[in-house]
Amino acid sequence: MKLKTLVLAMFASSAMTSVAMAEDDYKIVDKPLELSIQMNHKRYPVYKEDWPVEQEARALTNIHLKDVTVGANMRTDSENTGKTEALNLMLASGKIPDIVGSSRIKDFVNQYGPEGAFLPLNDLIDEHAPNLKKFFEEKPHIKAALSAADGNMYYIPYLPDGKYGRAYFIRYDWLDKLGLKVPETVDEFEATLRAFKTQDPNGNGEADEVPYFARQWPELIRLVTLWDGRSSGSDTYHDFMVEDGKIAHPYAGEGYREGIKNLARWYAEGLVDAEIFTRGSSSREFLLSENLGGATHDWFASTSGYNRLSSEIDGFSFKAFAPPASPSGARIEEHRRIPIKPDGWAIGGTNKHPVETIKYFDFWFTEKGRRLANFGAEGKQYDMVDGKAIFKDSVLNSDEPVNNQLYQVGSQLQARGYFQDYDYEKQWSNKFALEGIALYDEGDYLIDQFLGVAFKPEEQKVYDKHWPTVRDYMLERQQTWILGTGDVEAEWDDYMDQLNKKGLQDVLDVMTTAYKRQYGS
Amino acid sequence: MSDTQDKQHGHVVETTKRKRSVKHKLTWLYDHVRNEWQIYLMLLPTVVWMILFLYKPMYGLQIAFKDYSIFRGVAASPWVGWEHFQTLFDNDQFIRAIGNTIKISALNLIFGFPAPIILALMFNEVLHAVYKRTAQTIVYLPHFISTVIIAGIVTTAFSPTAGVVNTIMGWFGLDSIYFLTRPEWFRPIFVGTGIWQEAGFGSIVFLAAIAGVNPSLYESAVVDGASRWQMMWKITIPSILPTIIIMLIIRIGNIMEVSFELIILLYQPATWSTADVVNTFVYRQGLQSGQYDVAAAAGLFNAVVAFVLVMTANTLSRRYSRTSLW
Repeated sequence: MKLKTLVLAMFASSAMTSVAMAEDDYKIVDKPLELSIQMNHKRYPVYKEDWPVEQEARALTNIHLKDVTVGANMRTDSENTGKTEALNLMLASGKIPDIVGSSRIKDFVNQYGPEGAFLPLNDLIDEHAPNLKKFFEEKPHIKAALSAADGNMYYIPYLPDGKYGRAYFIRYDWLDKLGLKVPETVDEFEATLRAFKTQDPNGNGEADEVPYFARQWPELIRLVTLWDGRSSGSDTYHDFMVEDGKIAHPYAGEGYREGIKNLARWYAEGLVDAEIFTRGSSSREFLLSENLGGATHDWFASTSGYNRLSSEIDGFSFKAFAPPASPSGARIEEHRRIPIKPDGWAIGGTNKHPVETIKYFDFWFTEKGRRLANFGAEGKQYDMVDGKAIFKDSVLNSDEPVNNQLYQVGSQLQARGYFQDYDYEKQWSNKFALEGIALYDEGDYLIDQFLGVAFKPEEQKVYDKHWPTVRDYMLERQQTWILGTGDVEAEWDDYMDQLNKKGLQDVLDVMTTAYKRQYGS
Repeated sequence: MSDTQDKQHGHVVETTKRKRSVKHKLTWLYDHVRNEWQIYLMLLPTVVWMILFLYKPMYGLQIAFKDYSIFRGVAASPWVGWEHFQTLFDNDQFIRAIGNTIKISALNLIFGFPAPIILALMFNEVLHAVYKRTAQTIVYLPHFISTVIIAGIVTTAFSPTAGVVNTIMGWFGLDSIYFLTRPEWFRPIFVGTGIWQEAGFGSIVFLAAIAGVNPSLYESAVVDGASRWQMMWKITIPSILPTIIIMLIIRIGNIMEVSFELIILLYQPATWSTADVVNTFVYRQGLQSGQYDVAAAAGLFNAVVAFVLVMTANTLSRRYSRTSLW
């Protein structure tokens, strides 16, 4: 207990000195002002008022955030429905806090903002938020992507920094053992996977190797990019994409058809994990540590981390390789970090201090605020060295991963509107990840992403009516084709007919209309 | 209350038989409640509970006929008539889901309903007490396991590479099957899992009914030289028949309610053609995408069908077996 008080006292004094230095720059109100906040995100179901980052922001701005979260919900699933539930519950309770922060907030505020539940931010930003204004002026495409159908902006997003997300990974030591070189084309990749299957690279005398595996089965579908198909237009699975200034769906393209045909063949030959649809999220951990998995498509940082297994498995080396070239010669990496997330915070419609609130939002876009949001508190988590924030050794060398430590002090809070600084992650990325990123940087494999559209109510209706049905139908056919219970070549025409009958074209039409309105092309 | 009033009441009760006016009924009720107030007090919590949690929410059912927005609220959302029902019945996936619900429920009824009865009859014949108790505990256990764990067990058991089912099939030289992605295997696996999980626990109510059978019936049967088999058919089953019928009626009322948590955990897009039931459809398309009004419409449809089924089953039962829920 004593130690804790001591630390608190030390922290308080350091906070006080920084206030003395920067008082005039950041103070928004003379007398402390309390604003209520609802915050829901997978790592923090509520807003904690004792987070050091919140304490420091208080000292700097004199704005105190008070947690009033309802429906705190830690449940996570691919659709993040737990967060949407919490937001719905809050809205149904009839009391909207001054500030609402959440993941998956975009569609929510774009739907209920125009109805009056949230304040439009455009004028507030123009008049009171110089840093936000400058940021959006420099990045007009981000402003366009944020806007609701009425042209207003209703939330300040969390903006990830750094480009790379997932990459192709393969067992380099198995390649060496079998005398193979890193696959450069899809044919070579196929030959490599077959060699993994048949030539016993793990040396246990059994053909138990799983050449290609994935934690999420849509990462199998991702491989259609090796035949010039597409699996998604954004970092969300099964998303739409932009093609010649119009919205199209990847699952209705010729390349997809070709890709699925080949993937079905791979599946039948055993080049793909037979249990890919049911093995689930622990498959990477299991297959790598059992010395069974050969290649996957997964996140740079976490997947590189498995090289620690080299202490148990002799020679274990699981590193990134460049995307194999498709038959037409294209090499693309479809997945990347999206520059703007549907997460962030908004101003409740009943907020009595909108000007102070937008100034507070603006604070997080100042240099100081951004550092606070990214690195935690100065002197505790990081020190300034030559004008750059550098993590303390105690943070970098702790048993706890750096990002977890930051979450615990209220930093890297993705339900807060802020601009991430990739430098924060670079400082603790492992060398294999950095090597892989350099490799991908060199080849420039990334492609542009679809950032979503905002609908007018009548467009939303068309989308809601048809899209869930169309999507279900697509996924159902997709899986039966891969598993070989259906034949993509024979059934393709019927499939396209069905898609149109179920309203795919109507959905694409309203999306294209919304897209043109929003991005002006 | 004074004596004169009491006398008056007595007079009223006598005359009710001839002249049943509303006023007299009310007075009788008042009198009745006044005399039996302890019983009504005991009833009160349940009534309050029913009103709060069953009747009050019915107010919200109207969103099935409205363009519902959470922000505007139930009252302020505009009416759209039958539009949501139209949307549902235009959707062949919804029609398919109704079909699947009925098929899975029918299988559940045919195979799942008799299972606990047979189990109870079997337990009743076991004489060794320790063996009986041990066996009962073992078959009750799966009931207490969370659905998520059950799904994990099933997924592992039917796995094509490491699953026990495929391993056994391998001993007989059969090719391994990826069961959970085969539409034709989904229903047997689902219904089988349900029986494995619930048959033991379900047998408790029948065991209780069997325990209530008058022992003198068996004693006289033994004197008459009846075999155990004959006693089961002629005494046990007829004696527990009312219980069986009540359970059957309840079961029929739940036909539209397939335990959809287990389905969500077990199904795959590849098996939707046989596995997708009304509730999973509503979950996927209504709740996940926030279309509460359409989901409410589907739920209302479900409830109406279930209501009709229960009424029919109850009426038929009352007519032919004189046993009924009400």
